[in-house]
Order: sequence, then C-alpha cells, then structure tokens
Amino acid sequence: MPPKSFQAASPKLAVRGVGKRYRLNGGKTIDAVHDVSFDVMEGEICALLGPSGCGKSTVLRMVAGLEDPSSGAMFLDNAQIDGPHKSRGMVFQRYTSFDWMTVQKNVEYGMKINGVSKADRGAQADHFIQMIQLSKFKNAYPCQLSGGMQQRVAIARTLANGPSILLMDEPFGALDAETKWQMQELMISIVETSKVTVLIVTHDIEEAIFLADRIIFMSRHPGTVRENMVTEFKDGRRFSSHEEMIEAKGFHEIEKKIMHMMRDEMRNDREEALQEC
Amino acid sequence: MGAGQRVVEREELAQAPNTKPRRQRWFEYQKPIPVVWSLLLGISVWVLFFGMWELAAARGWIDTLFMPPPHQVLATLYTMIAERGFLSDIGISIYRILLSFAMACAIAIPLGVLMGSFRTVDAFFNPFVSAWRYLPAPAFIPLLLMWFGVGEGSKLALLFIGVIFFLITLIMDHTRAVRAELIETAMTLGANRWQILSTIVLPAVAPKILVSMRQMLAVSWTYLVIAEIVAATTGIGAVMMRGQRFLKVDEIMAGILVIGMVGLFFDFLFRLAYRVLFPFVANGQR
Repeated sequence: MPPKSFQAASPKLAVRGVGKRYRLNGGKTIDAVHDVSFDVMEGEICALLGPSGCGKSTVLRMVAGLEDPSSGAMFLDNAQIDGPHKSRGMVFQRYTSFDWMTVQKNVEYGMKINGVSKADRGAQADHFIQMIQLSKFKNAYPCQLSGGMQQRVAIARTLANGPSILLMDEPFGALDAETKWQMQELMISIVETSKVTVLIVTHDIEEAIFLADRIIFMSRHPGTVRENMVTEFKDGRRFSSHEEMIEAKGFHEIEKKIMHMMRDEMRNDREEALQEC
Repeated sequence: MGAGQRVVEREELAQAPNTKPRRQRWFEYQKPIPVVWSLLLGISVWVLFFGMWELAAARGWIDTLFMPPPHQVLATLYTMIAERGFLSDIGISIYRILLSFAMACAIAIPLGVLMGSFRTVDAFFNPFVSAWRYLPAPAFIPLLLMWFGVGEGSKLALLFIGVIFFLITLIMDHTRAVRAELIETAMTLGANRWQILSTIVLPAVAPKILVSMRQMLAVSWTYLVIAEIVAATTGIGAVMMRGQRFLKVDEIMAGILVIGMVGLFFDFLFRLAYRVLFPFVANGQR
C-alpha cells in the first residue's frame, strides 16, 4: 500500500454530495440517496453496508455509470464519472455468465471488445482463470458450472479487463454459506495479488467486516451515510480465514456496534418504503 | 471437544426399524415415469387409433366411401407418388413454405431484435405491427389474387403476411427479455451499443428466435393449405382439392398424412439444429 500521507492527498474514488431522486407515478418525488460523500483509497476494499432500501446499490450503480446522479458528482482518479467505462467493471449478484461462451471466452470478452490481440488476451485470461482456480474448466460452458464457479468467472472476466476499481453488488448473496466463505477468502487472496481497489455492496455484516478495510454504513429514508468506519482492529492486515477473524481482538466489538446500528435502522421503517408494483 | 456440547454417537441411532419399499403406482402427481413406459404409451395411442379405425371399417360400422381405412390411404399414397408425380407437388409446397418463410425471417429477425432493444424503434413500428396482427391473413386473398394473379406471387404473399407480424412480435418479446445484467455487464466492460447488440443481445436471444421460427413454421403450413385450396393447380393442397371434386377421400387423407409427416420432419430438423447450434443451453431450459 502507498504511504498514508499520499493516500489522504488523492483518493482513488471520490463521491461528493451524491443524491438520487425518483419521481413516482403520482408526481411525488422520493430521495433514494441523499447527499452521500466518501472516499475510497488506492488498493482499499471498501464495503457499502446497510439495511435493504438504504440506496447502497443505487450508489454503486451510479459509480458504475449505469445510473446518473440527480445531484453531486463522483471522481475516479480525479476524472468525473460520466456513463459506464471499462475502468469501472462491475460484478452483479445474479449470474451474468455469457452462456454461449466457454469460461475462457467469457474471461477474454472485455479484452476482445477493447481490441487486445488474441495472444495477449489468451495469456491474460489464463492468468486470471488460474487465479480463480478454474483452469481445469476453461473450456466448459457456464451451464456446466455451479453458482460459485460462475461468480468466480464473472470476477476473473472483470479483473482481466484491467479496471481501476472493481465494483461488486452483493456478489455472494445468492451462494450457500460454505461457498460464500470460500469466495470471500478467495477474494482476499485475489486482492492481495492484483492490488485492485474494490467497492462492494453487501447487507451481510460479517462479510463486510471480513473483506473491508473501510465500511460505509448507510441508513435509509433517505439513504445516506451514517458512519464511515476504518476496520482498525485488523491492524493494517487482512484475514485469510474466518476463524482468524473471529478470534481477532476487537472483532466482536465492531460486529456488535454494526448490529446495533442495523437494529436501529429496522425501527426506521416508513410507509414510503412501499414500492410500486 | 469443547465445553457446552455433546456429540451424539452413531450407535445411539443405529437401531434400524423394519423397512419396506414404497409401492410403485401408475398415477403419481407430476412424478417422472420410465422412458420405456412413456415410449410404449406414446406408440400405443396411435396403434389404438388406427386399430379401431381399421376395425370399424372392416366391421362396416363406418362408410368406407367417406372414411377409407388406413391401409387403403397408404396404398393410395403409394400410387400417387409412384404413378402420378405427387412428389413434385410435395416439392412445390415445401418450396413455397421455405421461400416465403425465409423472406419473413429476413425482415422479422432484424426488426424484432431492434424493436426489443430500442424503445424508439419499438414506439415507431409497434402500432403498425400490432394492427396487422389482428387482420386475418386469408382476408387478403381476393386482393392478393388481383395483384399477383394465380401464380406463385399470391401464395408467397399470403404465407408471408400470415407469419411475419407474429414472428416480429415473438422475437421482440424474447429480445426484451434478455436480462439487463448481461447488457450492463458488457457496458461496464467497455462495450459500445453496436458491440452489445452483436456480441450480447443477438447470441443471447438466438436460441429463442429458433424456437419462435419452429412454432411459426407450423403456422405457415396452415396458410399454405389455404392458399393452395383457393387457387392453385400444383401443391399438396391443390391435389387434395381435386380429390374432393372427384370424391377421392383416400387422396384427401393421403394429403393430410403427408402434411403431417413433412411438418414433423421440419420440427425434427429444427430440434436437431437447436442441439447443434446451441449446445450451451442447459437441458432444463430447452
């Protein structure tokens, strides 16, 4: 990691006063996201955590450029974000494997449309397929893979494209408990080797604590930042297993603190939460 | 072992009660049955159908002038093919189907995909396409006969307008159902709109397009028979119409039989093409 003084000077991703206002059918407006600001440093794993309806996915989608903010602005490497770009690759909760391509072709896809030569993208794909431990299945089609394997392919496909920041929208939400662990641990080892900056949305407290160097806790109605926490109990390093985290001093304190905030949010259920059918 | 837990040993649970396998029954809600069973049942319904028919004809329960037994229909079919050039009639019918269907697909596939992808294209064409869908194609026969005469043109035109508007709508719906996450993934990987259309939307919807084509080709046969019965001297429908004029019920039935068999054959070809072209589609979704 770069020295702290440098980090503080220029964040990798800067979100400044971002809001998202929707107009409902009746002409009423609703603020899904209100005045959200935070920084993500180079090489950092940052988690957007909060109850459902707090707008964390909307913030992520705005960073991805898939939705436009109603107010405020976001900057990646000091350049204002405007629409989707390959520097901000995203992994979704639902499987996004391209069914008609093999694992290898899936991982090569981003490079192919960006004009990387065949030899280069082959080598690059091999590297990332090895990283996600699917070398044996590189010629398999997605329908032959389990959910966890498909998510690994999606991660490799995004990383192989060389993004400046990796965006993840509850990427492990649809997986069973043991696969989730495995994926989270794999995620740590991937970030350690590739040094990529990550912004991940989750509603899973343990996942956030395990993965993140920084946790942005969001509250709802309207969705805004309630607390910006650095997971200091990790002492500047990351855990390679869940057991290690559970035994670490300070883990239970931060878990309890976040649980209290989550509980607090649950009381904050209002009628506007009703969605349109 | 830590405190606060007790491991239940296997021996404690090892006492096996008397077990008895569950009885196999013929009728179980939604449960799969052995392949051999389903094959035998599928064949037996036809054996039963033709058997009863033969029996009814042999016993004189039905008038064989209007309901000739199956074996007579087969014999007539053989003489029609061997002595009266029925194969060329079958050939011309298939030619009409394929040519008109190819023309319909050539327009419906690109238009349907574009309408399903871009709301602007949809908003322009949909009011037009939807209106045409509710006009029955045979209603245009008098008009088509005046425009194209009794030649190939009127038949091809009827077949064309009979299927194209449904085909467009089906393909549009399938294209619209391409999951947004796939398109958004491609966007965040740097794909532009054209690349998304050619490398994501088209391949994603291709299997569904083939299924729609299979369904609409069957509809095409309906219009073919109408076209050939109304005004044609060649083709399966025309032969059947002549059979009616000369009270040759067996020839009419032979025509129906051939249409059924050719239809099944094309259906088989489509299924085969599906397997060959789209080996990646999970079995359950076929």
